[in-house]
Amino acid sequence: MKKAFKNAAAAALVLSLAFCGAVAVNAEDASTQGTNTFVDGGTEMEFWTFQELHVGFWTEMADIWNEQNPDKPINLTVTTGESHSLHSKLLVACQNGEGAPDMADIEIGYYGSFLKDGYLLPLNEVVEPYKDDVVMSRIEMYGDKEGNVYGIDFHLGASVCYYNMDIMNEAGVDPAEIVTWDDYVEAGKKVLEATGKPMCAVETADLFLPQLMLLEKGGQYVDEDGNPNIATQDHADVINYIREMINLGICEIAPGGGFHTEEWYGHLNAGDVASVAMPLWYMGRFTDYCPDLAGKMAIYEIPVWNEGDTREVLQGGTGSSVIKGTENEELAKEFLAFAKLSAEGNAYEWNILGFDPIRTELWDDPEITENPDNKFLAYFQTNPFDILKKNGTDLTAPDISGTYSATYSVLVSTTYSNAFEFSPDQDAMELLQNEQDTIIY
Amino acid sequence: MKKESAFKKFLYSQKVAPYVFIAPFVITFLVFFAYSIVNMIIMSFQNVAGANTSFIGVENYRILKNAVFIKSLKNSIFYTIVSCALMIPLPMILAALLNSKNMRAKATFRSILFVPALTSVVVAGVVFRLMFGELEGSFMNQVVGAFGVGPLVWLRRPGTVWLALFFICLWRWTGVNMMYYLSGLQQIPEDLYECASIDGANSWQKMLYITIPLLKPTTIYVLTISIFGGMSMFSESFMLFNGNNSPNNVGTTLVGMLYRMGFTQNQLGIASAIGVVFLAIVLVVNLIQLRVNGTLGGKEQ
Amino acid sequence: MVRKNRIYSVCLFIFFTIVAIITLLPLALLAVSSLRPGSDLMRYGLNFSIDWASANLNEYKMLFSGQNAYFTWYKNSLIITVIQVALALFLSACVGYGFAMYEFKGKNVAFVCVLLVMMVPTEVILLPLYRLITKMKLINSMWGIMLPYLVIPMLIFFFRQYLSGISKEFLDAARVDGCTEYGIFFKIMVPLMKPSFAAMGIYQGMQSWNNFLWPMIVINKIDKITLPVGLQSLLSPYGNNYDILIAGSCFAIIPILILFVCFQRYFIEGMTAGGVKG
Repeated sequence: MKKAFKNAAAAALVLSLAFCGAVAVNAEDASTQGTNTFVDGGTEMEFWTFQELHVGFWTEMADIWNEQNPDKPINLTVTTGESHSLHSKLLVACQNGEGAPDMADIEIGYYGSFLKDGYLLPLNEVVEPYKDDVVMSRIEMYGDKEGNVYGIDFHLGASVCYYNMDIMNEAGVDPAEIVTWDDYVEAGKKVLEATGKPMCAVETADLFLPQLMLLEKGGQYVDEDGNPNIATQDHADVINYIREMINLGICEIAPGGGFHTEEWYGHLNAGDVASVAMPLWYMGRFTDYCPDLAGKMAIYEIPVWNEGDTREVLQGGTGSSVIKGTENEELAKEFLAFAKLSAEGNAYEWNILGFDPIRTELWDDPEITENPDNKFLAYFQTNPFDILKKNGTDLTAPDISGTYSATYSVLVSTTYSNAFEFSPDQDAMELLQNEQDTIIY
Repeated sequence: MKKESAFKKFLYSQKVAPYVFIAPFVITFLVFFAYSIVNMIIMSFQNVAGANTSFIGVENYRILKNAVFIKSLKNSIFYTIVSCALMIPLPMILAALLNSKNMRAKATFRSILFVPALTSVVVAGVVFRLMFGELEGSFMNQVVGAFGVGPLVWLRRPGTVWLALFFICLWRWTGVNMMYYLSGLQQIPEDLYECASIDGANSWQKMLYITIPLLKPTTIYVLTISIFGGMSMFSESFMLFNGNNSPNNVGTTLVGMLYRMGFTQNQLGIASAIGVVFLAIVLVVNLIQLRVNGTLGGKEQ
Repeated sequence: MVRKNRIYSVCLFIFFTIVAIITLLPLALLAVSSLRPGSDLMRYGLNFSIDWASANLNEYKMLFSGQNAYFTWYKNSLIITVIQVALALFLSACVGYGFAMYEFKGKNVAFVCVLLVMMVPTEVILLPLYRLITKMKLINSMWGIMLPYLVIPMLIFFFRQYLSGISKEFLDAARVDGCTEYGIFFKIMVPLMKPSFAAMGIYQGMQSWNNFLWPMIVINKIDKITLPVGLQSLLSPYGNNYDILIAGSCFAIIPILILFVCFQRYFIEGMTAGGVKG
């Protein structure tokens, strides 16, 4: 009896495994996604990215490239992987000089590691033709002191402030009238009084708000030689300012510790926080994770320290680069510049991915800025292009050279959680000095 | 033809056969294990940068003074000690209770307690990460909410982070360790207990004077695997924090630090130095074990 | 006395029932949540509150629709598990047999090496091993995952232990009958070792199926990764795919759970084999 049962069970197991196998074979087609339409004689190239959404962009661009350049077609294979491990592996592949792809997307926090030891190829000659059409400070940030640039971003990454207009109206605050951080704090007090909700949040596992404030002051996390430089008076002032907002109750620690956690998305979507200052590429997070806020959010310029300051800085980003050792150097470079800097590429980035175009002519193109089918324009009450046009192209970008990666890693794992959560009373300067000492580089 | 047969004879001789049998191990050992360790020791004295690799003495070992490294080491040691303190007595008691004559449905309970060990650390991590979520509706917040506490931000405070890590550890390994103890209990002759009963010993005394001492070999084994499991803990923390960065490094362990240096920050020399330190700790713990127990855990009597 | 025993027995039963409930709770949470849409999870958190009227199998439908790589991962994991278990059993049995049945020069040194590998956590050599695998061009190949872990000290140890019970005279008798050294192993020993193969096969199967850290490091192509790594990749800083993650996690436990239910005895033998025998 028992044996019979066992045999039956074993048979069931074999069947179920066979079934899985069958399904697996059928599903195989789905996983080979990530190539463009291959053409005969096309140059085979490999691309790594950590973001699934980018796969569609790169393959689409390769198809357009092949249409426009039938003499040098590309057969592009795009692979995605989990972000942390993909960057790690790319790094080690570069180190060994083997196994690396021709091109890759590298997230800003990791970029410094690749720049440091010279694993990337300069893109100067292919960027040159586009120079007057694009915001160069966004490209130069992926460069070195000698004027070489190594990476091109998907977007401008202009920081804006997203306001929940239901809360603003309830508190009787007009975000258009907020100019300085002091105005912002005053408005925050009103919001807190009228609704009991915090005006904003600060991350402990990421750095967007403090970095924004620091960049506005002209500060950077690394010094001119690329060494960590977080123990500065400007940085201490920023920390004290945010601490003061926390003490007043108008700033909270972001649930989940960052603006990319499910806790935060839930909190935001529930309308429990009045505003958040993030780059424009964050629009996609609203459309994806905050369905309840559609039509309720408005985008305004970020507050600044002094009236008259430029109300826009550049934050976040992903540099796409050509990896040293590729056999198709020239072609890879040309393709990269075309995909990222051409009108076609920028239009795709805006329409599908919600990335603010790095190419300035698009800011004035009604087909882009007034597109009735665009889900991002439909979601928000105000038009983000007004901000881009107003602030022009002379913008501050983060310095990600030298030890930025190591510094970033300390900032987001210990510095800000200590500053705002664990040791809120410790002298800011002293705390920053301690943190700086722990950076390994 | 003749040569081949001579070779065949050589290969088939009783002298050579054992070497053929153990060859797979020797090859694996030399190629993967020994080579890696030697390589790691060399790298720990180098600035590893592709073609520009150079020896820099003990520079990499400066990491030993780094506050974050010390914290990760402390975290690993703390985790190891507490997990040993939990994972030995609890499974032992459970096994003793389950083994008792009055227990019904032994096999069923034994199986149920073993089920978590079947799950991958990824699945366990996903569930616990969500259970210990910050949202008011997440399971653990509902539980503490019933006692009028919370909602808590579990995974961003040191105390509650440890709670979550130990929960995962207990959940996944209690059943397994209990199994070890159950098999250990089978080896204890029944008549010992009977003699003790005749002498008037109560259950507690039996546990104290018969069960625990006779389970010593099992305990040594469980202790050994718990120490190494604890010191090399990484995946649990990696899953819980969805990556290797935990708030204020509350969950950063020795292996986490090694991973961070080697795979994220491109500091292979420093990562190797951490590996060497790790190896040294493991060897020292082994030596102490040898001393204390007189035998390697798991070796035959 | 009998009555006291009965009360004791009931208490024990209740106690273990509670323990069992706590043990199964996380998995039950997972199972219940797999019937809810992933967006619910993000908004309300993981808990038991579920509106049964709206519960559905949509997440599983999504899983099976083939619009994702889930079953590719599943297949990869199955292949790797099967090959690794088969090879590891065979090779480790050879080595264990060599240690158990022969006296030879260097035996003790070799055996100390086995113990050494057993004692050093694999995480220690993560980095140099990875570089080695890269040099061998085995990155992104399932051999890269398996090759360093084909001869498992734990298995060697177990087989050696198992075989040491067999008398060596038996071997000599076989030799007299004209069996070669290898013939003895294949024709006589392997059939004798069947039960231990079952136990160790299950032990190794569990390890291979659930292995996470090493495959995560070795493979970086989304269509070549294994199931645990694939599931983990659904959690990303750019938004988590809970729909597939939760249903996929549930489905990942199923094969091993079926195995467990069928072959419990071997499971337990396999797991406790490393423990001390007598």
